Amino acid sequence: MKGMMKLLVLALIGLSMLAATTNAQMSAEEIMKKSHMAYYYAGDDGVAEVKMTLVGKSGKEREREFTMLRLDNEDGGNQMYYTYFKKPSDVARTSFMVHKSSEGNDKRWIYVPAIDLVRPISADDKSSSFVGSDFSYEDVSGRHWTNDTHTQTGESELDGKKVWVIESVPKQEDSFAKKVSYIDQASFLPLTEEYFDKKGEMIRRFTAVEIKDVDGFTTMTTRKMENLEKGSHTIVAFSSIDYNVGLEEDLFTERYLKNPPRKYIQ
Amino acid sequence: MRHFIKTTIVGLVLLAATASPAAAEVYLHGFLQGLWGGRLDQDNPTATEQTASESRMQLRLEHFGDAAEVFGRLDFTWDGADTATYEWELREGYLKFRLGSNIDVKAGRQILTWGTGDLIFINDVFAKDYRSFLVGRDDQYLKAPQNAIRVEYYNPLGALSVVWTPRFEPNRLPFGSRLSYYNPFEDAIVGTGISPAYYFDPPSPEAKFENSEIATRFQRQVGPFAAALYFYKGFYKNPLGAEMMMVDSATYVPMPVYPKLNLWGASLRGATLGGILWLEGGYYDSRQDPDGDDPFMPNSSIVGLAGYERQVATNLTINAQWQIDYMLDYDKFLDNYHDPGSGEVTMWVRDETRHLLTTRIRKLLKSELLKLEAFLFYSPTDEDAYLRLLTEYKYTDEVTLAIGANLFDGNHISTDYGQFQYNDNLYAKVTYGF
Repeated sequence: MKGMMKLLVLALIGLSMLAATTNAQMSAEEIMKKSHMAYYYAGDDGVAEVKMTLVGKSGKEREREFTMLRLDNEDGGNQMYYTYFKKPSDVARTSFMVHKSSEGNDKRWIYVPAIDLVRPISADDKSSSFVGSDFSYEDVSGRHWTNDTHTQTGESELDGKKVWVIESVPKQEDSFAKKVSYIDQASFLPLTEEYFDKKGEMIRRFTAVEIKDVDGFTTMTTRKMENLEKGSHTIVAFSSIDYNVGLEEDLFTERYLKNPPRKYIQ
Repeated sequence: MRHFIKTTIVGLVLLAATASPAAAEVYLHGFLQGLWGGRLDQDNPTATEQTASESRMQLRLEHFGDAAEVFGRLDFTWDGADTATYEWELREGYLKFRLGSNIDVKAGRQILTWGTGDLIFINDVFAKDYRSFLVGRDDQYLKAPQNAIRVEYYNPLGALSVVWTPRFEPNRLPFGSRLSYYNPFEDAIVGTGISPAYYFDPPSPEAKFENSEIATRFQRQVGPFAAALYFYKGFYKNPLGAEMMMVDSATYVPMPVYPKLNLWGASLRGATLGGILWLEGGYYDSRQDPDGDDPFMPNSSIVGLAGYERQVATNLTINAQWQIDYMLDYDKFLDNYHDPGSGEVTMWVRDETRHLLTTRIRKLLKSELLKLEAFLFYSPTDEDAYLRLLTEYKYTDEVTLAIGANLFDGNHISTDYGQFQYNDNLYAKVTYGF
């Protein structure tokens, strides 16, 4: 009986130590993976209305409005994106599709309705701007966490939320030299990301402006990206968000690129 | 009076659209646009020095429900480049719906595009509007609408598209009023500045069932490539043939006609080698000249195209294309040009194989608000070239400013671009979108 008690105590101590490790000493890589999953892979699919406000250095505003559909082929792996533009007028009715590959290059297609043209677009440069905004293609669909080496540099508090501070350095030369992320310990969403160049100057800053619960998923509904070199920033607001609506792969084909799935478009 | 009636009809349609109970679901968009262009050559045989002077309003009306979609695109233009005219055109007006779960139907006036080339068309024999293309109108105007029914059938093997155009729709080509062109009957570059008689309007094939156009495509994904097979039965879209027509009881004159055409083709396009690669080929079967010995009809030909596009730096995209056009029965074609006395070919005639090289360079600046673009067509065998230049600035989400140029050069007056050598033009364009 005594031996039994001893064993139990030992087991409990062991268990509690294990738990402590997962909570407090989760590796930086694991945190970034979890963050990536929480941010880009919520649910199996998602539909949202998106409004982008592009603000130039002079304060001049431009707007983009589109419907965005997302389907995860596998959690943390391949994804499909469909974007149907509504504003501005010159790109209205244009649809755009991405098959995001976690390994090779993404595939992108555009449909230009005025001339009934379906065209693949070369997708070599993931850091190029998404529709002229301060967000890059990679910012929209997610930079895979394995592309960077992550180090946890500490813990901190941001707007009353406990955060991990993670430094990420690209494994291969990229558009930034270092990224410092402040990851919310409760939701794993990045609350702030700071991008630095080789000289150590901050070149871009990402901020989570609004986070809400949507169908049980902690969702960033408004986000902001500042380009400190250009003096411009872009605010993206998501509305009418729905998760797990049952999107099918068939939807992310040329057929639907030409014939937008109206039931998901408001 | 005609205009009045037209305008009234359009007004009523618009009124009905906005006043109907479903008004909330009708989307109205469009733009207002001013385009002014002047030619740079002094010796152009056209009457006008303006290549464009127009105000345009485009309205797009869209309504969709669960079962069907209705779309209309209407253009109203006041065009003052030569004889001032006020015109409107229904560029698109179609109904789109689904039959069962595998068939999509689009019926009505529509713009159609397929094939892989960038401003080069082999299997895309849908109507083009070169009058617009050469004077600086938006790219969308290169495609002319046609009244057609398109049925697309999707199954696991691929997608089969069939387009039936009951009434033949030709290309819109320059006819001498603001752009001079090569007239084979005169063997000269002609324009209305010399004589209005140079204008000709080739008769379209009779409105008979057998003269309707059928265009089909079967497409499926093969690895990273979209692979397609094409077949078209109809007519050459340019009046490449001639027939002797009776003017009065004793006089016959050659008149341009659209020769009968069968076209078989294939294409491949997809992402590879860090860019987009495309290959396309077509066999043009000139049905009225199967042996190539009719001097008034085009010979059959085999046309091939290879192209590659790549984003070479952030916001800088470059592509290049190479097209070869091989004429069948070239010997018989040459026979038409032998000088009866010497037996030699004394005038310039095209090569058996015609090469065309093109390149597009596009640079985006200022957060994609400023676009600089150049597109060059160059044929080493025809010894001609066409350079398109465009600078476009999005001043606001609504207002776009553009200036551009169309420059032509050629050593021979009868080649595709050489014939336009007096049409060099410079244009400015302002667009307000809503």
